[in-house]
Amino acid sequence: MSTKNTYEESELVAALRQKDSGAFTYLYDHYSGALYSVIRQIVPDAELVNDVLQESFVNIWRRMDSYDETKGRLFTWMLNIARNAAIDKTRSKAFQQGQKQVPLDGELIQPGVRPGIDDIGLKKLIYKLKEEQRQLIDLSYFQGYTHEQIAQALHIPLGTVKTRIRSALTQLRALLS
Amino acid sequence: MNVKEYIASGIIESYVMGLLTETERKEFEAVCVQYPEVAMARSSFEQVLEDQLLADAKQPPAHLKQQVFERVTTTGADSYTENIEEERTPVRSMGAWKWIAAASIILMAASIYWAFDINKKNKELQSKNNELETRLKQSNDRLAASQSGTGSNSPRSDFKMATITEGTNASVSIYWDTLSKDVYLIINNMPKTPSDKQYQLWALLPEEGAAPLDLGMIQLKQERLLYRMKNVQNAKAFAITVEPRGGSKSPTTTPMVSSIPVSL
Repeated sequence: MSTKNTYEESELVAALRQKDSGAFTYLYDHYSGALYSVIRQIVPDAELVNDVLQESFVNIWRRMDSYDETKGRLFTWMLNIARNAAIDKTRSKAFQQGQKQVPLDGELIQPGVRPGIDDIGLKKLIYKLKEEQRQLIDLSYFQGYTHEQIAQALHIPLGTVKTRIRSALTQLRALLS
Repeated sequence: MNVKEYIASGIIESYVMGLLTETERKEFEAVCVQYPEVAMARSSFEQVLEDQLLADAKQPPAHLKQQVFERVTTTGADSYTENIEEERTPVRSMGAWKWIAAASIILMAASIYWAFDINKKNKELQSKNNELETRLKQSNDRLAASQSGTGSNSPRSDFKMATITEGTNASVSIYWDTLSKDVYLIINNMPKTPSDKQYQLWALLPEEGAAPLDLGMIQLKQERLLYRMKNVQNAKAFAITVEPRGGSKSPTTTPMVSSIPVSL
């Protein structure tokens, strides 16, 4: 087992498909911090954050064959695995028993900003958006509600939700670059 | 379709961030195949997002790494395969009517396959056609832009295109974004290399006597349309050589050079 210090993305993908544990070590070392930050912004409970990160990396390792580089970069694929796992976790029974369930019924609770979690990364950037845009990205990206659910809860037509989210995302992109 | 408007519509960000429905996602992927500019814009947003999230990384607790590695090495791929097998319906002894049902399912599957195959061939022709159309349109757009003397308002990218062809069986298009310096490559047609050889892309630099700059290896794979190569600050042309697998520091075989030098 050799652990390289740098990989071209295509080399890394090829090595991961060969189940090369050196490549997986590199992957973990390089990306676990970024995914950990994102998961923490979605899952409030620190222990559960660890579970989700673990599950995400196990899934990344196992599902490597389903990664398709024509559809996007490796990190994007990993990020979506981690985000989906995080959202699933917040929805799972275990979580709901321990936590107050927050149904999306128009009573939108605005949680406080947690230092080191909500004041970095995308969460920090979305606070620079208009309140309405911030709320839409928070509900769809960080809380994983579908556009339909958001439309119902906010009493806005579905088409409008979609347009507003897309416009919020282009604003976000402008803040990123 | 107005590609510029489509790119600016927020759909790219929605796709990358996983906010599209299954149908919308499929549509977007089809558009990426038809319009390389969309795929490139997607790739550049992905890079921006990745850079931001890497910059905001927080180290997870150290013990997690070991736990992850234990899970992938011990219960790793094997238990996963088992799970997949369990989901399949086991074959049991069946009554006669079940055989008839099974036969009709097979028949149906065969006809679906046949329809799918015809459809696929049709799609392949269509996508070739679309690709040519796109390229024509891009050339026209660029021509129009250069003639009017102004590009779009505050462009984020400005693609130069170069083509490398040799005979009738090798053809590669290279798109170089002279603003972001990103280099993308589309294989239209390339003969297979022996298993110990690979194609390597080079940039020929404008400086007199400068050595060609390695832009990375090309993994020949079917259905892979767009490759992102290494960036290059400045280039007067691009070239491809056949090199031992893994690449060389400098070209070792006669290069195929882009027919039209890239002009800035």
